[in-house]
Amino acid sequence: MRARMEILETSLIERIVDEALSILETTGVLVEHDDAFDRLVVAGFTGTKDNRRITFPRPIMEEALASAPSSLTLHDRDGNPHATLSGDRVHFVPGSSALRILDRKTGEIREPSSPDFVDYVKIANGMKHLSYLSTAFIPKDVPQDIADAWRLYMVLSYSKQPIVSGAFTAFGVPRMGQLMAYFRDDRQDLIDRPMSIFTCCPNTPLRWGEDPISNIIDCAEWGIPMEIVPVLLLGMISPSTTVGALVLHTAEVLSGLAIAQRIRPGTPVLFGGAPASFHMKLMTNPMTAVEALQLYCGYAQIADHLKIPSQAYMALSDSKFNDSQAGLETGMGAILASLAGINSVSGPGMLDYVNCFSLEKLAFDDEVVAHARRFIEPVEVKEDLPTQALIDELVREKHLMMSEHTLEHWPEELYIPGPMVDRTNWEQWEEHGSKTFKERAAEVIDECLEDYDVEPLDAALHKEIRTLFASTCSDKEVALPEFE
Amino acid sequence: MADYALMNQLLFEGKHKIVQQMTEEALAEGLDVAAVLEDGLIAGMRVVGEDFKRNRIFVPEVLLAARAMKAGMAILRPLLTERGDADTSETIVMGTVKGDLHDIGKNLVGMMAEGAGFTIVDLGTDTSAEEFIAAVREHDAAILGMSALLTTTMIYMPKVVEAVKASGLDVKIAVGGAPVTPEFANEIGADGYGADAASAVNVFKELVAAREASRTSP
Ligand code: B12
Repeated sequence: MRARMEILETSLIERIVDEALSILETTGVLVEHDDAFDRLVVAGFTGTKDNRRITFPRPIMEEALASAPSSLTLHDRDGNPHATLSGDRVHFVPGSSALRILDRKTGEIREPSSPDFVDYVKIANGMKHLSYLSTAFIPKDVPQDIADAWRLYMVLSYSKQPIVSGAFTAFGVPRMGQLMAYFRDDRQDLIDRPMSIFTCCPNTPLRWGEDPISNIIDCAEWGIPMEIVPVLLLGMISPSTTVGALVLHTAEVLSGLAIAQRIRPGTPVLFGGAPASFHMKLMTNPMTAVEALQLYCGYAQIADHLKIPSQAYMALSDSKFNDSQAGLETGMGAILASLAGINSVSGPGMLDYVNCFSLEKLAFDDEVVAHARRFIEPVEVKEDLPTQALIDELVREKHLMMSEHTLEHWPEELYIPGPMVDRTNWEQWEEHGSKTFKERAAEVIDECLEDYDVEPLDAALHKEIRTLFASTCSDKEVALPEFE
Repeated sequence: MADYALMNQLLFEGKHKIVQQMTEEALAEGLDVAAVLEDGLIAGMRVVGEDFKRNRIFVPEVLLAARAMKAGMAILRPLLTERGDADTSETIVMGTVKGDLHDIGKNLVGMMAEGAGFTIVDLGTDTSAEEFIAAVREHDAAILGMSALLTTTMIYMPKVVEAVKASGLDVKIAVGGAPVTPEFANEIGADGYGADAASAVNVFKELVAAREASRTSP
């Protein structure tokens, strides 16, 4: 049996979903953009133009839930299947879109540039326990209206792995779609073999702003899988209690899902989220707050009940540095996400309320993920029940180090972490140079960079892509950074 | 006689309707506007601020008190303006810049500033330079407060600053939001930066004082 955590009774899940559907039927969502509103009315939704509110009758919701896929297989740059998101499979991916980075060499918190991003891709590509990549932060050395597509281009240039990404403007998706289509036979092929998940955020409570709603519609038209990520702040823009928050969260996700299904039935949609608590004194938004974790685990169960793959912003930290708080929050999130069976967990590498990305943390979190993954390995009988023979052997030999049973099973059973999680005793630690967290991280990172070996993109393709950027960038004066 | 102690207590408890009623009654009794403001409302808010600092109360209680303050101010403001002593009831035009829909932080700043007695004209999200300037002009605002949460939209802030400078309006500009730093604020020629709602209110007060000073000095 695989360990699975449940915090909601099935009857409560049903009541929450039912309440969410009622709210969609009566209150619906506000679409804060005229064109998008019109596009949705054309797509068959009922809405009143003067208040731009769209409502969702139950039959539409039933249809949407029926056509939304329960499984998504992400493909790599070359078009090979890479990771399947469904059931209780759990994947971890670096957190996305930080504003700043914690410079591993100087310890300074600063704005990132394209060379930083290339470094990140090479290092993340080498992490053993992360399933795919994300566009982790935003390089500031390119015109910001193309920064969303630019970071996607850099991932595609240096890694073959699928990518969690998203657009920053209302017109961002088509350019990014075009960019990904260069790696497929045609647009249909991109739909058949998707290589990315795009984040689309409703504006709590029950609103869709111009950019996110345009992004959802464009993603659905392009067949790009998306994660619907509401950001409830408990007690601020959400009920402070878990059940009420789950109703609101579910309603928002299902509104996005229904819109996507209406535009293109069968578009993969993840039941996502980045809910946070609201700190009633400091006015900050901790995503790792213990009550927020309850909300994450609750909606994972609802997603499972509805047979929709899930996504969450977990296994990250709100701390500013790689300190004890970071370890606590990341570890707690990773274990809970695994137990809750969340299919795509965005978080590793992230600090400071998703504002800051750290490569040292990424190296550490890779091992945190390994811990979480190990913990949910099913507990099964492995030639150890009945146990009498093993006990006899142990009593006779005084240890089982050389037992056939141990030799057969220990490599799978006993996970050896390190070097980030340090298992040396004091003397060993001194003998090995008394290495600090930072020094160990530097070694992991350097090793990743040394081992990095991904087939570069064809020069002709680079040229074609750069032409796309040059023709769609607002600032024609700025030379786009070159990389080898 | 107006019971200022009771008024302070009710303001502290966020009883906005009664506070408003008591404000009206105090004026009807012929009490001085400035005295009602200071002893009836501001004195109550001072306790709120003090208790917030000491973790005796939290943001929800502060907002309730701020709403009561605002209810009282609605009665006092026209009279204060008539007399020409505006000071803390100055107007702030607030908005999230073009292309950006993040408004949680901006709204909190607005609510806290209202609690401190400022009048807020909220332009909402996705606000253009033209809209900012028109609102500042229409409401004779002392401060223009801009918020941005995206790296793609914070670059719009200098455009607003430039447009405001070109318009010749006598208004101080304050900026804030997660990607905004004091250095950035400085670089683009903004007059103030606030890291959170509490410091934003202090910045607003300083800016009003600076504006007053520059107006009175020859
Ligand atoms: C909540 C949130 C949302 C909500 C916004 C809801 C709303 N109505 O505002 C939703 C879900 C809609 C959203 C959408 C998006 N978001 Co968002 N969001 C956040 C999040 C998690 C928290 C922001 C927040 O409300 N904090 C709480 C408030 C109280 O704090 P605050 O805003 O910083 O405000 C305080 C101070 O800054 C200051 N202040 C603020 N304004 C002002 C103004 C003045 C004058 C002064 C003096 C002070 C001041 O005082 C405030 C109170 O203390 C941030 C991450 C973060 N931690 O900042 C990401 C974040 C800003 N979003 C991000 C992104 C990418 C997006 C999307 C593009 C995602 C997408 N692809 O759909 C869209 C943007 C669409 C658009 N065009 O705007 C990125 C930005 C990346 C970047 N480099 O620019 C961030 C950093 C998260 C991330 N890592 O991905 N988001």
